[in-house]
Amino acid sequence: MIRILHVGKTFRGRDGSAVEALRDVSLDVAEGEFVAIVGASGCGKSTLLRLVAGLVPASTGEVALHGEAVTGPREDTAMVFQAPTLLPWADVLRNVTFPLRLMHRAGPGTEDRARALLATAGLAGFEGKLPSELSGGMQQRVAICRALLQEPRVLLMDEPFGALDALTREEMSLELLRLWSARRMAVLFVTHSIPEAVLLADRVVVVSPRPGRVADVVEVSLPRPRSFDQEGSDEFQRCARRIRAHIFGERRAVA
Amino acid sequence: MIGTFVLWEAACWGFGIREFVLPAPSAIWTATVSVWPTVLNHTLSTLTTVLLGFVASVVVSLPLAMLIAASPVISAAVYPLLVVTQSIPKVALAPILLVALGANELPRVIVTFLVAFFPLVVATVAGLLATPPELIELGRACRAGRVQELLRIRLPFAVPFVFGGLKVAAALSVVGAVVAEFVGADAGLGYLIQTSMAFFRSPLAFGAVVILALLGILLFQAVSLAERVFFPWSSGAQSGAPPVA
Ligand SMILES: Nc1ncnc2c1ncn2[C@@H]1O[C@H](COP(=O)(O)OP(=O)(O)OP(=O)(O)O)[C@@H](O)[C@H]1O
Ligand SMILES: [Mg+2]
Repeated sequence: MIRILHVGKTFRGRDGSAVEALRDVSLDVAEGEFVAIVGASGCGKSTLLRLVAGLVPASTGEVALHGEAVTGPREDTAMVFQAPTLLPWADVLRNVTFPLRLMHRAGPGTEDRARALLATAGLAGFEGKLPSELSGGMQQRVAICRALLQEPRVLLMDEPFGALDALTREEMSLELLRLWSARRMAVLFVTHSIPEAVLLADRVVVVSPRPGRVADVVEVSLPRPRSFDQEGSDEFQRCARRIRAHIFGERRAVA
Repeated sequence: MIGTFVLWEAACWGFGIREFVLPAPSAIWTATVSVWPTVLNHTLSTLTTVLLGFVASVVVSLPLAMLIAASPVISAAVYPLLVVTQSIPKVALAPILLVALGANELPRVIVTFLVAFFPLVVATVAGLLATPPELIELGRACRAGRVQELLRIRLPFAVPFVFGGLKVAAALSVVGAVVAEFVGADAGLGYLIQTSMAFFRSPLAFGAVVILALLGILLFQAVSLAERVFFPWSSGAQSGAPPVA
């Protein structure tokens, strides 16, 4: 489904200096698979998502979806950015339908689907509100609905719950799992939270910093549907420990 | 406001200021009302020039700003020209235009336009270029082309900036119209001020000035009202908007 093959990305800074964000990253994601990406700040997680989204070209290697090389943004890919990134002038409903309208994919049923989706995200009754009238968590839920309404086959989420408090975060994680199990798209989910990664994902990719490389891929064999009760289980602890060892082991090696 | 007028009136009587130096508000009022139909005609004439000049600035500035924002090449070519139009004193330009285009409405509208359009262009370009990169990236992720990006993302984002420019342009249109009328006109408040002063009829000239001020305020308020009605999310107005059920 998603094939990332020996991908490297080097940014050229304003001063001409080169920043190697990613080096020789290879990763295969199956159809309908939920893959979490964890790693220290600045290790190239967002860059990896941008590469898959077709927003930036790879310096070396290749990204392919369904065997087609990614050369630019695709219709079957949707992205949830690190910040909600809502249009301040459009109400919630128009924000959610914006990508489809922009891509001329909005049909007569689009608005009803958007309303239904907003209702599942607990935003019924807020369709006519402006983003500035919503809380940060509600804005982020709108952004997630906006991505889901595109019915993507690949959903890219860049720390979608980063700005939320712990309670909303747990609630939203479970909500996301519910929506995902109903639709089953491939998900690449960037997070800073190790428990969140383990709880959500089939596999957790640990990225090491400077330059970003795949340090480890941890298979999570917890049964679905997942819940926070599983945090006490041996499998959960095993995965979390292994991820933590990589992240902090590296810190120690660098220091 | 009222206090100022009371003080002004009292000062004129108290210090015995002579009428052609500084007429009292009551004198201004009497002088203006006594020739009211004439004053009204002059006001309408000026208002026509102001509105035509203002509309011309809007019609020219918005597309021009979009071109400038869309391409650094156009920006580099056009901006120096615009700055030149701003450095030339309009009082000097007005007689030349008058000779070239004849004594009709057109040169006056052009002078008004020249005075008013520049801030609108600058404000609109600033807004178009201030669009946050995240929103631009969202557009790219939704496969928006350059035209779509400009019309669906940059332009709506620039609306509060555009209205900032429109408010300045509204006030400057009044200035521009009067400048044009001073140079060559047979009607308008600028013309009225000039002819009145020539005959030492200060109260009437002051009356015209007050009407000009009112015109400026009115136009400014009209722009603000349009912003609140059509773009309630602009300029932080939404915080004061009643909650929608
Ligand atoms: N557009 C860019 N131009 C230059 N350098 C960039 C650019 N984008 C990212 N980088 C560099 O690439 C590296 C990785 O950045 P990236 O945003 O992918 O990190 P991240 O893992 O998402 O970090 P965080 O967890 O803090 O969001 C950083 O060192 C950053 O300086
Ligand atoms: Mg990031």
